[in-house]
Amino acid sequence: MMTNPTLDDLLEGLIVSLENEIMPHVSSPKAHVMCQMVQSLIQEVRQALPVYDTYVAQEHNEMTQVLRDVAAALGDTTGPEADRIRARATTLGALANVPMPADQAPIRAAHRELGYALQDCMTDLDVLQRAGNTRADTALQSIRAHLLPRIVRDVETLTMAGGMAGRG
Amino acid sequence: MEQSIVTFLERILPDATSIVVEDFQQIAGGFSRETFKCDARVTRSGKEGKMPLILRKDPPDVEAILHTDRSVEHNLIESLRLRTTIPVSQSYGFEMDPKHFGEPAMIIERASGSGQTSALFNGGSDEDQAESVIKHLCEVLVELHKCPINKIDPNGELSDPFHRGIKIDSWDSFMDSTIEFFESSYPTFNFDPILMIALDAIYTLRRNKPRAMPLAVVHGDFNPANFLYKDGQVSALIDWEASRVGDPREDLGWMVLMDVVSNTHVMDYPKKEGGFLSYYNKLTGGDITPEELGYFTLFGTMQIAVPVQQFVSRRANKEYMLLLPYYVAQSSMGAFPAMAQLMGYAGVPA
Repeated sequence: MMTNPTLDDLLEGLIVSLENEIMPHVSSPKAHVMCQMVQSLIQEVRQALPVYDTYVAQEHNEMTQVLRDVAAALGDTTGPEADRIRARATTLGALANVPMPADQAPIRAAHRELGYALQDCMTDLDVLQRAGNTRADTALQSIRAHLLPRIVRDVETLTMAGGMAGRG
Repeated sequence: MEQSIVTFLERILPDATSIVVEDFQQIAGGFSRETFKCDARVTRSGKEGKMPLILRKDPPDVEAILHTDRSVEHNLIESLRLRTTIPVSQSYGFEMDPKHFGEPAMIIERASGSGQTSALFNGGSDEDQAESVIKHLCEVLVELHKCPINKIDPNGELSDPFHRGIKIDSWDSFMDSTIEFFESSYPTFNFDPILMIALDAIYTLRRNKPRAMPLAVVHGDFNPANFLYKDGQVSALIDWEASRVGDPREDLGWMVLMDVVSNTHVMDYPKKEGGFLSYYNKLTGGDITPEELGYFTLFGTMQIAVPVQQFVSRRANKEYMLLLPYYVAQSSMGAFPAMAQLMGYAGVPA
């Protein structure tokens, strides 16, 4: 997966493009306001993306605890309401904590460093290949065998079929 | 802008008594230049005529995909128009002083014909014309490639028009200097490590040079979006800004890749002649092989990939904030598996 530009860079690009490249050409006041709404929603996605999975996991683990705390606070209260609360505490409240997502920033940084290391290996292998080292030919195939599935997956994940817009 | 066009036309048509520019509007397409169309109503000797026009304007320097020269493009188009039968739009002239149009610009005739070339393929509305249009397209390309370089380019403007340090004193020096340009450019566009596939391509090209062929003037961006057609013929081959001296197999190779990226089938036609390469070989008397075509698909890809990925890289570095580079990055990603296949990566899906 490409790490540059980031998803946030792309979303920022959409907001800026709406502002600089589209809205100046929008003459309808209604459409102008719609563009502003789109910008606002894109900004929402930008703000939510970095924290979304972490917050959901954190809130999951907090809610199981709250269910247990609510039941405990009722003590020996009787009646169908209290029974239902205790039942929730022993079922949903007993769910195991989910793991918190790892911080992606250092992972992406290391991913990038590893990628450039492979790139530099390619340069060194080329020197060896041109010197007639056939083992370097084999070694290059290892890099290519790693690269190809990544490329295919990126294309499947990131691109759209149907040609290029504005190109006839 | 309209008044600048009037002023320009007054200069090249001094006998005109009235010039009115109408229907001026920016048009889509042409990623590398800002393109506008308009009609000029021109009165000369008491008679009014209409001139359909295209204004091609440079983008601001930092936003340019390819740094090209409108005067060179004008001279080439006029040379082709006057010295060959290659269908091109007349170029009325250029204005290098940015005070007129904001940036250097040129004004050319707006050729008749459809630019919706996707309609020729995949069950499109003009598929019945595909055989004859692409047959003619091949004939046009052959004429370009067979024309002596000094006939089209007597002043040598196309030897190294993008100032890349390309040498054309022999085929080998052309190839070596071009590959050297690719390699020295790589650090300017490896904004993400996935671009190492381009580095692999550069090294692969250097290790596997094919046989030599005479150099020729090549279109340089021979792709399915760069011709217009009408009544079963190519009415104009357009967008000559990337033209230069090169190996004629580059144009063929680039079309192969752009067919893939554009979801078109130019290279499959004319079917009665066994496809584009077969017909090209028949017309030239040559024997370009599919393997050579593969090499020059990769080579042609790098010719375009370098400036395109530099364009994306500058956006990734936030030197400007246009959307287009990100779209170009997304669109060009579809070329990566094809590049891998050309380099012999094992297991490339069909």
